Amino acid sequence: MKTLPPTLEQLAQLCRNGAWNREVKPALPSGFAELDANLPGGGWNYGAIAELMSDAIGIGELGLLIPALSSLARAGRYIAWIAPPYLPYAPALAQRSLPLNRMLLIRTNTLQQSLWATEQALRCPAVGAVLSWPTCIIDKNVRRLQLAAEAGDSLGFLYRPPEAALEPSPAALRLRLHAPSDDIACDGLIIEIQKSRGGRAGVRLQCATRLTWNARTGH
Amino acid sequence: MLWLCIRLPLLAREAFAANAEDAIERLAAWAYQWSSLVSYRLNDPPLLWLELGASQHLFGGHTALLAGIEAGLTQLGYSHVCALAPSPRAAALLTQVERQRCVFTRAELRIRLDPLPLSLLDLPEETRDALQSAGLRRIGQVLALPAASLARRFGPETNLYLRRLLGEANDPRPAWQLPATYRARCEFGCELRDTTALLFPLQRLLLEFQGYLRGRDCAVLRFTLKLEHYRHPPSDVAIGLCAPAREAAQFLQLARERLHNIVLPAPVRGLGLEALEFTAPSILQADFFGSDAQQLQQLQLLLDRLRARLGADQVQSLQPQADYRPERAWRFAPPAQSILASTNAADQEYLPQRPCFLAADLQRIAPPAQLLSGPERIESGWWDRTDVARDYFVARAENGARLWVFRDLADGAWYLQGLWT
Repeated sequence: MKTLPPTLEQLAQLCRNGAWNREVKPALPSGFAELDANLPGGGWNYGAIAELMSDAIGIGELGLLIPALSSLARAGRYIAWIAPPYLPYAPALAQRSLPLNRMLLIRTNTLQQSLWATEQALRCPAVGAVLSWPTCIIDKNVRRLQLAAEAGDSLGFLYRPPEAALEPSPAALRLRLHAPSDDIACDGLIIEIQKSRGGRAGVRLQCATRLTWNARTGH
Repeated sequence: MLWLCIRLPLLAREAFAANAEDAIERLAAWAYQWSSLVSYRLNDPPLLWLELGASQHLFGGHTALLAGIEAGLTQLGYSHVCALAPSPRAAALLTQVERQRCVFTRAELRIRLDPLPLSLLDLPEETRDALQSAGLRRIGQVLALPAASLARRFGPETNLYLRRLLGEANDPRPAWQLPATYRARCEFGCELRDTTALLFPLQRLLLEFQGYLRGRDCAVLRFTLKLEHYRHPPSDVAIGLCAPAREAAQFLQLARERLHNIVLPAPVRGLGLEALEFTAPSILQADFFGSDAQQLQQLQLLLDRLRARLGADQVQSLQPQADYRPERAWRFAPPAQSILASTNAADQEYLPQRPCFLAADLQRIAPPAQLLSGPERIESGWWDRTDVARDYFVARAENGARLWVFRDLADGAWYLQGLWT
């Protein structure tokens, strides 16, 4: 059987990874082809922290993770939600094919407790992904969480305010999330890759991460 | 029969126990994991006997077994001298010599005892003096005397002692019984003001507890630590687990999280451990292939740790609930239960799409400028006096967020129910 010559895209990816023979760790496809094409390994990397800096709550920043979380949970791993700003709504999660018996909701009173719980959850091999909403953290905390994610080989997602984009961070992946300016005409989350270890930063792309409604047609 | 004798010269002091009996009882409970025949002598120095002949094969031979026991004693922090002999009295005698404290057969025992001084024999003072004054110096010389003349001179007890020493006569001793519930406590000579200082004595209590649980082949779901104060009622710290466990390291980790949160009402003078209920150990420990079972075990460790630190009801799972009112269409579920239960997503398919985030409390908002979808009318709840009549819409906020809002038909006000995220 003849093997196909590599495409330009694949060549570019190999160049970015530094060497032809460098092994790219398998990643978990995010479920959005545009995003996967721009992430090293073709998806969310295991054992790494991704920071998501969203302009607002409710622009589709959670929908970005749902396909990946769904495949993790269906494979039997648990998803920990640590101190989310609103209550994850059980009927909606079930509708979006997240098995509820794999969800762990952890509520905390202080930032210190949140960070501790995030670290513990990341280190646990049974937990596949940890979503955490820390109120304000510094790069030392992120480094600690990054090490915990490496130890547990899990996916860590930190939701941070947009101001955090101005500070440096040791997270492997940093994404800025914006709502499109004309979001009625084209409803999709704008993702700006601010930092990507082993990948290319500065890319801007758009993914339809939430349900769409059109004012004219109703649904 | 092969007897191990452990001499514990500093037991009462090292155990921080109220009295010597408490200390040796705790250690006997610990030692029961190695042998089903345990007995002890309380008066000085305390001696603990274990019969190893029956259990040595289980633990991979007497060398491995002895190494395990000695390592355990060292970990607990007791100074100890161990000796092995075919009879309990000979083992006790050999704990007093400098080296070559292990003999395995009666023939070896006789040779080993031969050069030892007479003063090591556990005979009455006057008997030993009389033997000394007769010019005898070594045990071998006493053993060589004709039994009949020894009996005539010193009474039959001396003969019986010597025959028991050599393992020739039966030497029955009361077999120590495991108590049905576990209680251990230690007293400190000083007052501890800091919970981290408690971890050191706690570690030993937990290691002894682990020995007891292994000896009984059982596990616990909860146990209580009692912190004793001066002129203040003791504070109880209950430690609960998701799954039956018996590992001291796991207990210590949970206890550390619990103690971390506790403010001591007064300095601590003593520490107790109490376990009243026991269950069969979790079979998952021995499961070699089941990764699911292993995963569940790891998750239970995580849940225990989170609950110990954050509080039991801060860690939850979610379940849908059959109700049309959105704020009642879900409920918390304890994670350990819902892990076993399976959720049927099909139940939710009859409903229109719902947002992933729900506002915990209803917030009154200004009438939204832009509605994208709706209305969906929900009228329900007349039977439990929280009657609702609402028109739900999807609204667009200024910053591009999609809100799930409703207009209350009773007063016409607008509320935020959730966010489409």
